[in-house]
Amino acid sequence: MKNNVVGRKTSGVDKALRIALYATLILVAGFYLMPLVVMLITSMKDAEEVRNGTLLSLPSYIHFDSWEKAWSSACTGSSCHGISPYFMNSFKIVIPAVAISTILGAINGYVISLWRFRGSNLFFAALLLGCFIPFQVVLLPMARTLGWLGIASSTTGLVFVHVVYGVAFTTLFFRNFYQSIPGELIKAARLDGAGFFTIFYRIILPVSTPIIVVTVIWQFTQIWNDFLFGVAFSGFESQPVTVALNNLVNTSFGGKEYNVDMAAAVIAALPTLIVYVFAGKYFVRGLTAGAVKG
Amino acid sequence: MANLTIDNVKKSYGKTEILKGINIAIEAGEFLILVGPSGCGKSTLMNSIAGLEDVTEGRILIADKDVTYTSPKDRDIAMVFQSYALYPNMTVAQNISFGLEMRKVPKEERDVEIQRVAELLQISHLLDRKPAQLSGGQRQRVAMGRALARRPQLYLFDEPLSNLDAKLRVEMRTEIKKLHKKLGTTIVYVTHDQIEAMTLADRIAVMKDGEVQQLGTPQEIYDNPANLFVAGFMGSPAMNFIPSKIVEQNGVPMLELNASETTALPFPNPDSLKAYVGETVLLGLRPEMITEPQPHKEGQAFVVTTGVEVEVTEPMGADTMILTRINDAEINCRSNPAYPAKPGDVINMMFDTSKAVVFDAKSGRRLDV
Repeated sequence: MKNNVVGRKTSGVDKALRIALYATLILVAGFYLMPLVVMLITSMKDAEEVRNGTLLSLPSYIHFDSWEKAWSSACTGSSCHGISPYFMNSFKIVIPAVAISTILGAINGYVISLWRFRGSNLFFAALLLGCFIPFQVVLLPMARTLGWLGIASSTTGLVFVHVVYGVAFTTLFFRNFYQSIPGELIKAARLDGAGFFTIFYRIILPVSTPIIVVTVIWQFTQIWNDFLFGVAFSGFESQPVTVALNNLVNTSFGGKEYNVDMAAAVIAALPTLIVYVFAGKYFVRGLTAGAVKG
Repeated sequence: MANLTIDNVKKSYGKTEILKGINIAIEAGEFLILVGPSGCGKSTLMNSIAGLEDVTEGRILIADKDVTYTSPKDRDIAMVFQSYALYPNMTVAQNISFGLEMRKVPKEERDVEIQRVAELLQISHLLDRKPAQLSGGQRQRVAMGRALARRPQLYLFDEPLSNLDAKLRVEMRTEIKKLHKKLGTTIVYVTHDQIEAMTLADRIAVMKDGEVQQLGTPQEIYDNPANLFVAGFMGSPAMNFIPSKIVEQNGVPMLELNASETTALPFPNPDSLKAYVGETVLLGLRPEMITEPQPHKEGQAFVVTTGVEVEVTEPMGADTMILTRINDAEINCRSNPAYPAKPGDVINMMFDTSKAVVFDAKSGRRLDV
């Protein structure tokens, strides 16, 4: 090892290659980050600067006026309260939908992996199909179902839709994770006198933290970023922030306020960014760590 | 402690029969070993006793009570698993007391029981650790502790030692035997290791293809195997099977032996072979019954000495195994290490047929009974 390091220091070709490598990486990263940079700098300019400057020119001084406007007073369609009410709407949809779909996925995975029944593989295969159905296909039948259940155009309805289509993924996650748990663990607990839910709660759930983190991040991101279900099934009062953002961008009086649009878009994307920053390392760890060693 | 009766238990998945009518009865305090090659149904039978799998037909009785359709937790049994199946999120103490907690035993009694079991198994210093922090042998002890804590009527051991290294396995084997002597518990123990079976059991049930081939004490099974399979499975090195023609000498059936010269071996129960004169049977002779000539045995009724050619010698310390070829079969003999035998030599060996057994060459059926 040591010799290797010394050899590398003396070689000019190596150094050049390394510089080229980093240059490429920085270039690609820059290209990838460009839209975000444009969004951020545009959101900090005032309307005048947006019109006169180029896309990449930095703001002459930093304004947060457009952020304030996007949050509390920009018009989305006919109402002019910014995106804040819809931001809250999104939370009202996301939190119960993530919680319910994660719990259901955990129980489904537990049953399919550790309490096999006649046809459990078929059941799992059918459920898995849910991961591959394009959501556009189910819009009409789901609209009828929601109407029939009496929860059309409501937050409850949106939670329901997200739970139904989230369960396929959450079940897949938990099922794969629980595959690595030895069946003898369940047998031992049954002989010890524990029942179905006691085993789940006392023995299985405590070792499930990595996969719970993965599932929560996945579901949070999916549901928060959803536009299709939001635009199709929400009522005026229950629109999620993604729909509001679209309305805000499409509503203009006179000139387009790109700075406000950009600010609103950044705000709408913030929660998922924050979740990734704080839990991202668990996400990678949870996806790769399978084995629970007894 | 309780007795256990398995009454004509059958189990099938669709058309595949896993258990084909098992009948075993053991007394309270008895140590029964189920032994057999993998796929013989021994683990299925174990799971059926535990109630983890339903039987298709037949009855299972624990303490004279029919438990065939009783759920596992109400059968009052404890099981030690091959993988130990310790609860990974709980400490050793919690693992041991979980069963008691589920049965709503008060906290103080649980603590007393944890201490008792921990002392018994010498794991008191491990009580606060998690299973992941334990070595294989320690996990094994905790798994046993978990079973002991509930003082159940019946203990089931499912290949509990097969994940340990050789040295530890022998140690734990002795430990289990001591524990059984001390506590007098009823134990059903599954293994595929015939040495474990011989050393631990009061009685052994040798299984193959979902049937009990023989049920008996270790010595009975060793000396008097019911068929070719049992004879070949139990004992290490395995019993020699010598294809041998039955010839009549002075009206007495004898077993022909072609080594350096042709001789005939006498047989303790010659009348049983009368019907097979002229046919070739399999003579079963354990390696320790073919030895160097021993003066004190000279002249005994069923002892014949003849020359054989040595193919290979395998010194094992206490004995030296001599490999030779008789009647076109490879034969293992157990000799004194001092006996000078070199590959290629023709040396005299003493054949003692007083405990020999005879099988049908095709069906493997025992002929001399």
